[in-house]
Amino acid sequence: MWKRLLALLRHGELDRGLNAEVRFHIEMETEKNLKLGMSPAEARLKALRSFGPMEKHKEETREARGVSWFENLIADLKYGARALFKHPGYALLAVMTLGLGIGANTAIFSVINGVLLKPLPYEHGDRLVVLQQSRPLSGQPQVGVAIAEYFDYRERAKDVFDGLVEYHQMNFDLINRGEPDRVSTGVVSHNFFELLGIKPIIGRTFVQSDDVEGAEAVLILSHTYWRTKFGGDPNIVGQVFEMNDRPHRVIGVLPNVPHYPQENDVYMPVLACPFRAAGERQIAQNRRAFAALNVFGRVKDGASPQQAASAVESICHTFTQDNKQIYRPESSGFRATSVPVREALTSGARELLLILLGITGLILLIACANVANLTLARMLGRDRELAMRAALGAGRGRLVRQLLTESTLLAGVGGIIGVAFAWLTIGMLTTFVGRFTSRTGEIDLDPMVLVFTLSVSVLTGLLFGTFPALGSRVDLVSALKQGGAQTGGGGGRKRVQGALIVAQVAVSVMLLVGAGLLLASFYRLQRVETGYRSDGVLSAQIFGNFSRYPNITELKKLYLPVIERVQGLPGVNAVAITNAVPLGGGAPGTTRFEIEGRVVDDPERRPTTDVRVASPQYFATIGVPVVAGRVFNDLDNEESQRVVVINQSMTRYWDGVDPIGSRIRPIFGGPNAPQDWYTVIGVVGDVRQFGLARDMVAQLYLPLRQSQFGLAGQVLVRTAGDPASFGNVLRTAIHAVDPNQPVENMQTLEDLRSEALAAPRLTATLLGIFAALALLVTLAGIGGVIATSVTQRTKEFGLRMALGARREGVLVMVVRQGLTLVVIGLAIGVAGALAAGRVLSAYLYQTAPRDPLIFAAVAAVFVVAGVIACLIPARRATTVDPLIALRAE
Amino acid sequence: MAKLDLLQGTLDLLILKTLALGPQHGWGISQRIQQISENVLRVNQGSLYPALQRLDTAGYIESEWGASENNRQAKFYSLTKKGERQLKEETAQWARMTVAVQRILETEG
Repeated sequence: MWKRLLALLRHGELDRGLNAEVRFHIEMETEKNLKLGMSPAEARLKALRSFGPMEKHKEETREARGVSWFENLIADLKYGARALFKHPGYALLAVMTLGLGIGANTAIFSVINGVLLKPLPYEHGDRLVVLQQSRPLSGQPQVGVAIAEYFDYRERAKDVFDGLVEYHQMNFDLINRGEPDRVSTGVVSHNFFELLGIKPIIGRTFVQSDDVEGAEAVLILSHTYWRTKFGGDPNIVGQVFEMNDRPHRVIGVLPNVPHYPQENDVYMPVLACPFRAAGERQIAQNRRAFAALNVFGRVKDGASPQQAASAVESICHTFTQDNKQIYRPESSGFRATSVPVREALTSGARELLLILLGITGLILLIACANVANLTLARMLGRDRELAMRAALGAGRGRLVRQLLTESTLLAGVGGIIGVAFAWLTIGMLTTFVGRFTSRTGEIDLDPMVLVFTLSVSVLTGLLFGTFPALGSRVDLVSALKQGGAQTGGGGGRKRVQGALIVAQVAVSVMLLVGAGLLLASFYRLQRVETGYRSDGVLSAQIFGNFSRYPNITELKKLYLPVIERVQGLPGVNAVAITNAVPLGGGAPGTTRFEIEGRVVDDPERRPTTDVRVASPQYFATIGVPVVAGRVFNDLDNEESQRVVVINQSMTRYWDGVDPIGSRIRPIFGGPNAPQDWYTVIGVVGDVRQFGLARDMVAQLYLPLRQSQFGLAGQVLVRTAGDPASFGNVLRTAIHAVDPNQPVENMQTLEDLRSEALAAPRLTATLLGIFAALALLVTLAGIGGVIATSVTQRTKEFGLRMALGARREGVLVMVVRQGLTLVVIGLAIGVAGALAAGRVLSAYLYQTAPRDPLIFAAVAAVFVVAGVIACLIPARRATTVDPLIALRAE
Repeated sequence: MAKLDLLQGTLDLLILKTLALGPQHGWGISQRIQQISENVLRVNQGSLYPALQRLDTAGYIESEWGASENNRQAKFYSLTKKGERQLKEETAQWARMTVAVQRILETEG
């Protein structure tokens, strides 16, 4: 071993030694032959002949040294690098093509790794599940868990779970040295962090005694909040902050881990949340009180997620059967299950990510095919070199190894470029994926990703290197005799080139069809009739702190003066307050209602509607048309008759009868909820409240003055000028009413609308860029192959033209050759796109995955582009003077 | 009489035996094998060097650069202690094998 290592270190010296030794041997033999009376030339020839194939023997000697594979590799790498530097154009093109292909795959894989593959960053991440309740028969795919239900699960599922914990999010004002700061607060069971396996970096997490009535209010800070707001103050534990009009003492700081299901600034135990505490006091009267919990569980070691799910299912079955009048299980289908947290967090992104990985995989295949073709074309010029090496005794295996080393070298450099490419694009991709899953905090170019990139690079090198290497069986005699360029690889190599082009075209067609479909869908989505005018409207949120505005009566003391004050400002056309802005997110509410005279006995069969609260000018502010009757005015107040406005979609429950003047009764949850009847006074147009691609839902508007519920006030202002520049004026006006009121989420409705378009826009753009890349690479490939073939046939063309063929005829001949490949590829690609289009259907809006227009357009693009790609090299060939062409040998 | 190509594996034995007579360079080894066998055995000169390298790696021989008889730089090989033991062993094996082969041929004769 020592000797081998030494030999490895000294291999250059040893090689020189071997050369000197062989030279000495030949000289001695020659001298001997001279003494036997031969002529000098004859003596040397005979000496060489008796030695045999010199390179082969040297090679065998090197191999006997035992480290030859490594030396061969070094030699091949050196030789390969030199060969590539000699053709910088080829090397650059190949490396860039591969870099893009590998880079796209690295970027997508780093996202997949961070979102789908990594275990959750908690000690018991793989055993965490989340409970999911639904009412499938009533069309409610998600129903929050109520406090009483959570208690049932917690008490009855002890044999499969180590424990169950609850979580909900609230926003509270935290008074931090005088400045009110609105913090997102995770309200959690005292054993939440213990169950997840999160240990604090300072202080402690909650204990049971923190979560009892009358305990001192305590807080845990998130790592980010601690760093940004308190500069990582190590003495933070013990400090006291005002929150909900109570002093809260900080007891700990969390480590820097991503939070699921949401990021929060601070955490507090459940009883410290006034809403949750109020909910718990109602359990006896209302089993479904505070149905807003997320419940997480840690499955016992040894129990499977399926066991957990069926335990949850059966507990839910029991309590719905025991409380039939509340759950009405027969008509609502109320049920529950549990799924692993990791799955639940990423289910929205999984399919999209896999589609993207498929697409980048296809791009890489195109890149491979293209570089293989480039390499094949270059091989034409290398036949002589390879033949020479073969003649000197290099075995076929050795030649193939040399070619594969070169291709792997290219792929390796491509891989480095790819990592750089991924590093540059990963931020954009993370934002993009963040629209489909909340789990983006762990996306990173980590070792796992680099291993992936390395493997892909090596595989890529072997893949595209194999095609040219297969064609390396050279006919020694003809290759050495000829001038190199004319020998060609014969028909076999051309067939490989043709097949590669066909494959590239087919894959590019599929990508282009996909991009075309997404772009068409995006175009339609962008032109969707939203039902309101988003231009010129600014929105902001004033969430009245519950300690100062505990109910709607108090809140109106904030909202009504704000409306009045803003209305009087110059440049304001209209102002309104509502509970949620269109396209601001969220899902439609499902409040059941009855129409007078059309009573449905089974409450689960009663129609549902989404209830909005609106001040009188709401419809004018965002430009919702009044279809019939009237909308609210200032006379619809607390003392007057209860009135509602409905949207057009809701009128279908009147079966064609004019709803105006009829009365309805919305059934709000809770025993103390009002049971009033409301008169319908008007019908307004439908508004795309919950998403551009979503169907319209029935909506019901209550006047702000008559609303009996508190609401997070959304202020909407239609301005005469640019709404974005109105922000400071609005803030000042609100602070004139209440100087301590935080003004949040200030944005224009136009911004919200383009935000709603961001995901489809990015999806379409991403695929569009990929498809354009594929098209370019493929066209360059076609052009390259035709150019090589034309160069080889210059003499033939000259001959044809000398014999009277017209230039046009030759041009047509060349173009036909290229176009045949394009058309075959097109046919395969179209078939592939027809078969694979289905995977995109979830991302298409009013666009069929087999839209014939898109297919026709893609086919036209390819035929035209293919003709152009063939014409450029073909023209060059036919402009050559026949005489020169004939003499070109 | 036609010249005989060396049997597989016998070249190593012959090299060791040749070197037992004293240090020699590659060309010298090939000449000596031919001379001593009175030109019956033919060493493929090129295949001599891989064999020498093999023996060197195995530690049976070692090499040193020195001046040849006509005063040129040449690489001289010599037997190591390990090589001497190997030579003894291989010689004994060779003897056993030739005796065995001889017996088989005679019984048929």
